Amino acid sequence: MSATGIEPTAQRRRLRRSALLWATVAAAFYLGFIVLAVLRSRR
Amino acid sequence: MAEVLTTASHDDHDHKPHGWRRWVYATNHKDIGTMYLIFACIMFFVGGGAAMLIRLELFKPGLQFFDPQFFNSLTTMHALIMIFGAVMPAWTGLANWMIPMQLGAPDMALPRLNNLSFWILPFAFTLLLSSFFVPGGAPAGGWTMYPPLILQTGAAFPMLIFSVHLMGASSILGAINVIVTIMNMRASGITLLRMPLFVWTWLITAYLLIAVMPVLAGAVTMLLTDHFFGTTFFTAAGGGDPVMFQHIFWFFGHPEVYILILPAFGIISEVIPTFSRKPLFGYEAMVYATASIAFLSFIVWAHHMFTVGMPLAAQLFFMLSTMLIAVPTGVKVFNWTATMWKGSLSFEPPMLFALAFLFLFTIGGFSGLMLAIVPADYQYQDTYFVVAHFHYVLVPGAIFGIMAGVYYWLPKWTGRMYDQTLAKWHFWLSTIFVNVLFFPQHFLGLAGMPRRIPDYAVQFTDWNMVSSIGGFGFGLAQLLFPYLIWKCVRSGVPVGPRAWEGAHGLEWELPSPPPYHSWTTPPSDAVIARGAEH
Repeated sequence: MSATGIEPTAQRRRLRRSALLWATVAAAFYLGFIVLAVLRSRR
Repeated sequence: MAEVLTTASHDDHDHKPHGWRRWVYATNHKDIGTMYLIFACIMFFVGGGAAMLIRLELFKPGLQFFDPQFFNSLTTMHALIMIFGAVMPAWTGLANWMIPMQLGAPDMALPRLNNLSFWILPFAFTLLLSSFFVPGGAPAGGWTMYPPLILQTGAAFPMLIFSVHLMGASSILGAINVIVTIMNMRASGITLLRMPLFVWTWLITAYLLIAVMPVLAGAVTMLLTDHFFGTTFFTAAGGGDPVMFQHIFWFFGHPEVYILILPAFGIISEVIPTFSRKPLFGYEAMVYATASIAFLSFIVWAHHMFTVGMPLAAQLFFMLSTMLIAVPTGVKVFNWTATMWKGSLSFEPPMLFALAFLFLFTIGGFSGLMLAIVPADYQYQDTYFVVAHFHYVLVPGAIFGIMAGVYYWLPKWTGRMYDQTLAKWHFWLSTIFVNVLFFPQHFLGLAGMPRRIPDYAVQFTDWNMVSSIGGFGFGLAQLLFPYLIWKCVRSGVPVGPRAWEGAHGLEWELPSPPPYHSWTTPPSDAVIARGAEH
């Protein structure tokens, strides 16, 4: 059991998923603003 | 006997690698926290050195020591080093040290990522600082990197862009780690609304980092393609819009201000209750106020650029939304004051820094309100009044917050009490000189002295001299800080688990210094109940 009382494999999976989610959000902000700038410069 | 010895060696939880491997391959949150703090301290003195040179040049009118290009490089590098090299890594160092200990977690959730996010930084700053030695010198277009000026940077341009990308990547990885740790690694029983305020403010800071550091990365990527690949995002000649860069930059830049200051709010919310011997007044209001400030930080960015010209409706929106930030900030200042009300106050060094923070950060907040007023901002824009404003927010704000945090937790980290008399000297010299340094800059700005100039009209001489004397005094006073830490580590008086009598929180339930691997067994309900009192 981990410190949070969850089975270690499940805990690892949860941590990985959580990290990937936030990395995806960061990537979306990065690309999103570049796409916005491209769209604006085409107006 | 052998069995007893084996058991004992397992109980101390102190197996750690030795030599360089301990640091290069570090995955322990305390080791990585220590490396972040040492790195931040080094960068603080490098950035401070640049500030001393700036004040040296500005001591008298006329060009004394540096040509204007080098002076502009100094101001640009001073800002980049202090923001990305000193303050942000210091907060990440404190987060690494304290968040797992305060949540009853054995370590950060992603220790190898933690190692990577630290070790990116020395490379990023070596790259940035080495730009002083390339043709054309270090970047000189200001830390805001506005085009078209920044596109005129010489060989240092790609070095600047790549180093900013690296700093951003490091911050994003650190923020992911903080969020994943807080959301998944809390000991059972520590609900979100039982977390210490330092953890709360860091959680909100990490969300801000995830949202805005990629925006900065996007902006500098576009600068890079404009410079090298023929795009015209920000080049008017090709149909681009330089003002769009300012909008994108400040969409990052204003939340960045809160990234630098929110963790300080957390520390002050830990320190004031401890030395008032009272629980924090309005814990939940503090959490909601922090979240409100973070939300508002996304909708105020254009107050940095009123003078570029924008519709009246936009000016009004950004002026009023900016003023709205005073409400949750006022809630915080009120609650800190109410915490002290009828408390049994004592004035150890962390409390002194917290009190100075309270007074002086509020001065920075007031001048911020003045700058939010559009017609007034037309006068203040790009003057020393702005310099005074943001230095009041960042030096007695962020830096004093870091000092309060280090002086608060240093006995926990080292197991030893530092020389409090010397720390009080550090406090008083810093507080006096920081005001001598920055307060006259309000007068200079109101009298019309522009920022980012190496020379000035003679009527600004007197206050510039006073400001420079304050700068040299403040800089010299900071030398006490590393000496004091070194002295504490070598010969401080040993302290018990609860170094401060009024301290509450799970970190104070651990021995001082804490074992290398702490909370390998989750804290019991009784320990959590004792530690989680706010």
